[in-house]
Amino acid sequence: MGRVALAGVTKKFGDVTAVDHLDLDVADREFLVLLGPSGCGKSTALRMIAGLDELTEGTITIGDRVVNDVEPKDRDLAMVFQSYALYPHLTVRKNIEFPLRTRGIPKDERAAQVATAAESLGLGDLLDRKPGQLSGGQRQRVALARAIVRNPQAFLMDEPLSNLDAKLRVQTRAELVELAQRLQATVIYVTHDQVEAMTMGDRIAIMKDGVLQQVGPPQAVYERPENLFVARFIGTPPMNTIPGELAGAGPDIVIGVRPEHLHLGAVTGPGIDATVAVIESLGHERHVICRLADTTMVIVRQAIGVDPPAANGPVRLRYDAAHTHRFDAVTENRIG
Amino acid sequence: MTSRSRARRRRREASLGYFLLLPAVAIFAVFIFYPFLRNFVLGFYLNPPFPNLPKRWVGLDQYREILGSESFADSLKTTIAFAFLTVPAGIALGLALAVAANRKLRGIGIYRTIFSSTVATSVAVAAVIFSMLFNPIVGLLPWLGVNPTPPIIENPDLALGAVALVTVWQTLGLTFILLSAGLQAIPEDLYEAAALDGAGATTRFWRVTLPMLSPTLFFAVVVGSIHAFQSFGQIDLITGGGPFKRTNVLTYSIYSELTTVNHAANPGKAAVLAIGLFVITLGLALVQIRVLERRVHYAR
Repeated sequence: MGRVALAGVTKKFGDVTAVDHLDLDVADREFLVLLGPSGCGKSTALRMIAGLDELTEGTITIGDRVVNDVEPKDRDLAMVFQSYALYPHLTVRKNIEFPLRTRGIPKDERAAQVATAAESLGLGDLLDRKPGQLSGGQRQRVALARAIVRNPQAFLMDEPLSNLDAKLRVQTRAELVELAQRLQATVIYVTHDQVEAMTMGDRIAIMKDGVLQQVGPPQAVYERPENLFVARFIGTPPMNTIPGELAGAGPDIVIGVRPEHLHLGAVTGPGIDATVAVIESLGHERHVICRLADTTMVIVRQAIGVDPPAANGPVRLRYDAAHTHRFDAVTENRIG
Repeated sequence: MTSRSRARRRRREASLGYFLLLPAVAIFAVFIFYPFLRNFVLGFYLNPPFPNLPKRWVGLDQYREILGSESFADSLKTTIAFAFLTVPAGIALGLALAVAANRKLRGIGIYRTIFSSTVATSVAVAAVIFSMLFNPIVGLLPWLGVNPTPPIIENPDLALGAVALVTVWQTLGLTFILLSAGLQAIPEDLYEAAALDGAGATTRFWRVTLPMLSPTLFFAVVVGSIHAFQSFGQIDLITGGGPFKRTNVLTYSIYSELTTVNHAANPGKAAVLAIGLFVITLGLALVQIRVLERRVHYAR
């Protein structure tokens, strides 16, 4: 397994900069999640690591080798595609075997390696089927088996769970993490789903408009977002951002408060005036969505045991200053 | 809904379906089925070459005599040779051009237009162009200083190849378009996956492109073969079935039986030949579908 390092990696498509001077160091055996909204450059970054897109600037190092000019087949990487990219004309066995065949591995050795990979992903009974005869979850496992069948330096995964239904996604998420730990693999995993990022990654790297916003362990990023974008992107429901004027902090400041740190108080006490807009019950908790004086919407996470506020009624929002985040209203960067 | 009302509704829908099919059935009946049956019946008679003269019933004897004759066998051999000369070469060339043009390069559209341009060329135009090129006095070869004797289209060993060359050129545009469409339907991520799986360009072609393209290739082979068996214009315009009947393919032999130049013209014989050609073409298509389909990978 190996380390993957990106230094000043830039990709331009004509006048559009898809990835802008990306510096990223993925340690050996690390599970790094590249997270961001659609079009933020995360998949382009992954494709450059794979060698499927050329770099405009910068260097990519895999293991000890700069791979800028190395063909994809010689980079010693395996990739799981969003579409799985299984060969529809080949059986599951031949799909898994494909990377071994192209590398001239002898037949007996191939069969043994395919059996091991298939067994570890529960595909033993499906080896003679074609991809068209498999469910989405099974195809996804075949794609994984094809990736793990040889021992590459790193695994690249491009939104591999996005075509699965919600329930299977949660289950496969856990299986993937377990698999990565078992293989002690270096994984670079691209997703737009921050729940996946939070639950799977050793570290997450958040991108926006081709620029890296923050890298760090999920909990650290959650607790200390470096800017308003990260603050709003990480967390479900996202962090509330309240204009400083309403929070008594001045016009140049934006105050961030997580929904779990915002409380509903009596209308007569201190706090920010708001009106209840919608109350969403999730079974185990309640989200009270309130509208502030300037129409900003904020979400308050409320325990089910507590009485809900009156619909469309006035409330006063309170928070503990220790649980707030302060951002510059102009640069949107964290203050303090 | 009760089962009775469901059945009634199904019947109503079926009636409407048949009613809507009527115009198509009528057109097919008038222009395909009736002429086909008339042609079949025509084969039972020894017909004079002019209408309104008495014809003589000879029944299946005429079928036996003509389909068992040496001239029919020769003509069939020529037709098969013609198909072997045109279909594989046409598909190989079309595939090579389609693969070459299936790249994201600036200006590739110009090449695609050039490669597909022969689709807009009629058989007559193709025949005229190549007749000029093959011409022993003003053609391309004398201009290049080569002057084969006898001239290519008069050479019994080369004439069929020359007509086949015209056919390959003329059908190349269609084959190119067909195969280009097939290539463009292959998902890009399969190539990317193969590249990461260690496959070089050659392996990708054999292991990804060809299998994924096989339904289109299969279609091209069937259509190309039927087309080859039905080729007529280029033969009529370039060689007229000669020299020494070396380009006398089945369609041309049918035509020969009907031309007034041929004083022994017998529309009955032409009808038998046409039926023979129909049966052979149908059989060929069925065999190809049965045999080739087993080796064709349909993406799902």
